[in-house]
Amino acid sequence: MVPCTFLLLPFFAISATAMDGGPELRTLPQGVAYCQELAGRLAPLPGAAREPARSLAAEGSALCRDGHVRTGVAKLRRALRAAQGR
Amino acid sequence: MRILLVEDDAEVGRFVKKGLQEAGHTVEHVANGREGLFMAASENFDLLVLDRMLPGGIDGVRLVETLRGQGNHTPVLFLSALAGVDDRVKGLKAGGDDYLVKPFAFAELLARVEALGRRPAVDAPATRLRIADLELDLLSRTVSRAGKRIDVQPREFRLLEHLMRHAGQVVTRTMLLEKVWDYHFDPQTNVIDVHVSRLRQKLDKGFDRPLIHTVRNAGYMIRAEP
Amino acid sequence: MPPLAMHRRSRQHPGPLWRLLSSAGFRFALLFATLFLLAGLAFTGVLWWGTAGALDRQIDAAIRADAVALAERWRDAGDAAVSDAIGERLALDAEDQTVYLLTAPDGQRLAGNLEQLPDGFRPDVQWYGIALERDGISGEARLFVLRLSDGSSLAVGRDIGEKVRLRALLTEGLAWSAGVAIFFAFAGAWLLRRALEARLAPAAATAALIAGGDLSPRVPLSGHEDEFDRLGQSMNTMLDRIAHLMEGVRGVSDAIAHDLRTPIARARSRLEEALDAADDPAALKGALERGIADLDNVTRVFQAVLRIAEVEAGARRAAFAPLDLVPLLVDAADLYGATAEEKGQALHTAWPATLPLTGDRDLLLQAVANLLDNAVKFTPPGGAISLEASWQEDAVLVRVSDEGPGLSQEDRSRVGERFFRADMARATPGSGLGLSLVRAVVQLHGGTLWFEDGQPDEGGDRPGLAVCLRLPAA
Repeated sequence: MVPCTFLLLPFFAISATAMDGGPELRTLPQGVAYCQELAGRLAPLPGAAREPARSLAAEGSALCRDGHVRTGVAKLRRALRAAQGR
Repeated sequence: MRILLVEDDAEVGRFVKKGLQEAGHTVEHVANGREGLFMAASENFDLLVLDRMLPGGIDGVRLVETLRGQGNHTPVLFLSALAGVDDRVKGLKAGGDDYLVKPFAFAELLARVEALGRRPAVDAPATRLRIADLELDLLSRTVSRAGKRIDVQPREFRLLEHLMRHAGQVVTRTMLLEKVWDYHFDPQTNVIDVHVSRLRQKLDKGFDRPLIHTVRNAGYMIRAEP
Repeated sequence: MPPLAMHRRSRQHPGPLWRLLSSAGFRFALLFATLFLLAGLAFTGVLWWGTAGALDRQIDAAIRADAVALAERWRDAGDAAVSDAIGERLALDAEDQTVYLLTAPDGQRLAGNLEQLPDGFRPDVQWYGIALERDGISGEARLFVLRLSDGSSLAVGRDIGEKVRLRALLTEGLAWSAGVAIFFAFAGAWLLRRALEARLAPAAATAALIAGGDLSPRVPLSGHEDEFDRLGQSMNTMLDRIAHLMEGVRGVSDAIAHDLRTPIARARSRLEEALDAADDPAALKGALERGIADLDNVTRVFQAVLRIAEVEAGARRAAFAPLDLVPLLVDAADLYGATAEEKGQALHTAWPATLPLTGDRDLLLQAVANLLDNAVKFTPPGGAISLEASWQEDAVLVRVSDEGPGLSQEDRSRVGERFFRADMARATPGSGLGLSLVRAVVQLHGGTLWFEDGQPDEGGDRPGLAVCLRLPAA
């Protein structure tokens, strides 16, 4: 089935060129400091004391403290959105 | 007549040569096409009798084509074992004047040889043919004997004309079929005989001297003397 | 490739795989698989452009709108406001898909979550596709870099993981379908080859039997009236023709055995007898003459047999020419009318003014002559014979009828077989080849021959026979 293989080649080629994006760029590492910054942004908001923002924020802060910064940040951001009513 | 016979079969050649000599002709016999062509081209003959299939690289058809190419118009009679229509047509197209299929009756061969050898002169067209007291007018298409008019049908007229043009020669039934009716076919029974005997009755009725004679085992002949 | 080389190659690879690969069914299946794949490729291309392309355009539009909004804020309120807005946006990005970067004119990072501008950054190029690592996880992103009026740079970007996933999905789908297509190509090839073999097997078996020397088998037809049936039918027609020709050849040898032996034997015994009578010249001459007549008869039969063979082989079509049948009929009636008259028979004729036809003049006359000859032979004295011809649609109909003994239905089907002579005809002279030749001539002209009852005489004990020929005009 040589011809079929030939037919598939362009697809592999497309995938290969798309992956080839040169040296990688990096985002800044999200540290515990960022967790505290987010918590700081949440605190003054009027909706912060309401559910589900309150529990999401608590969960996020706890995760940050335990070292699961990435998940913690995600929780805190969701808490922010909830508090803003979005 | 001086005749050249080109025939590779020794027995047939000997038989034909003997028969033609007995009929009063001079015959030269050669057994292959090369010699035949040489003889025909270098000497004068009144007639060539050729076998179609000959050894020596030159067959009968080639021989005739070569002769005709040289402007030699000696009449040619083909003898052949090839009886197909195409073979006959090919032989006649090459320049042959007549075509006889083997095996043949010698009388048939002789009749055809004499017909070819003494063909009526083309440049002096006759308007009247006469045998003894029988007269044929080609212009008015009438027949009379001893001044008395005889009624004949058109076909009978043509039959009589052919016989009279070859007066004193044997004309075979096949020749009549070919020349008068213009067909090459096997009539199964001798239909020609009936036509000839009818004509004979019309011509000879009331006269004690018959003009159309039957030649045993050969055909018919019209002649003045009995 | 020359057939011989192909043959040798297949000899070298007698394995089942080679047999599959070299079969026509496999090649057909391969052709179809290729077509399917090409169609699939075209379909996927359209799908890709419609989905991934739309996604791209959507993302680009969102990025551009975001960047333009931030640039406006920068113009209105400066670096600090933009930094604030970026912080706000990042804080709300629960899915962690956005990238921002604001740098001062000296390249110093002011705000955002991206470490630096792309390596190949040029002020005049706005769009970049970048490989992005987020907390150690690699992905791809699209980045829009805006040069602000004081030389600062604002970069806004989004992850395009969705698009990557879609591409992977499509690629995977296509790979699978290609695999399946390949599988079906092979399976289809195998099935098609089996089906072809099964349909061709009867023809091949018949051909093998015939190659083995038995001409009687014919290709069985499935009744589907498809290509294979048509192939089988033409094979059968061809075989019938070959069998007919073989029969003709056999007929010639039968003829030589049957009808030539008799006159040859007769001639031989006459000549032998003549040896004993050698001292009586008259008897000797008579015996020799009869011997020659017998030999002439042999020649005539021989000639007729060869003529029939020649006509049946179709070799005489070369002599075909347009002709009018009427003068030919006039000649035939003229030739045989005299003979009939001699026998006290009346020959009635009837035909239109002209009957144009394409054919062989000598053969047509021979056919009519043979029929008339038979009619004259079998009609008793005082009887009537008729020769009629008419125009019927696009064919000429010739009818020769007599008042002879007729032919039984059984004999009618056998007449035309070479040397067949009805019992009643045995006493009359003839070779038994006349009607064979007529039939061969009629067939050569694409016509048909059949028999009808003739005109019975008053007594009614002679049913008579009419032979009809239908000769198509073209």
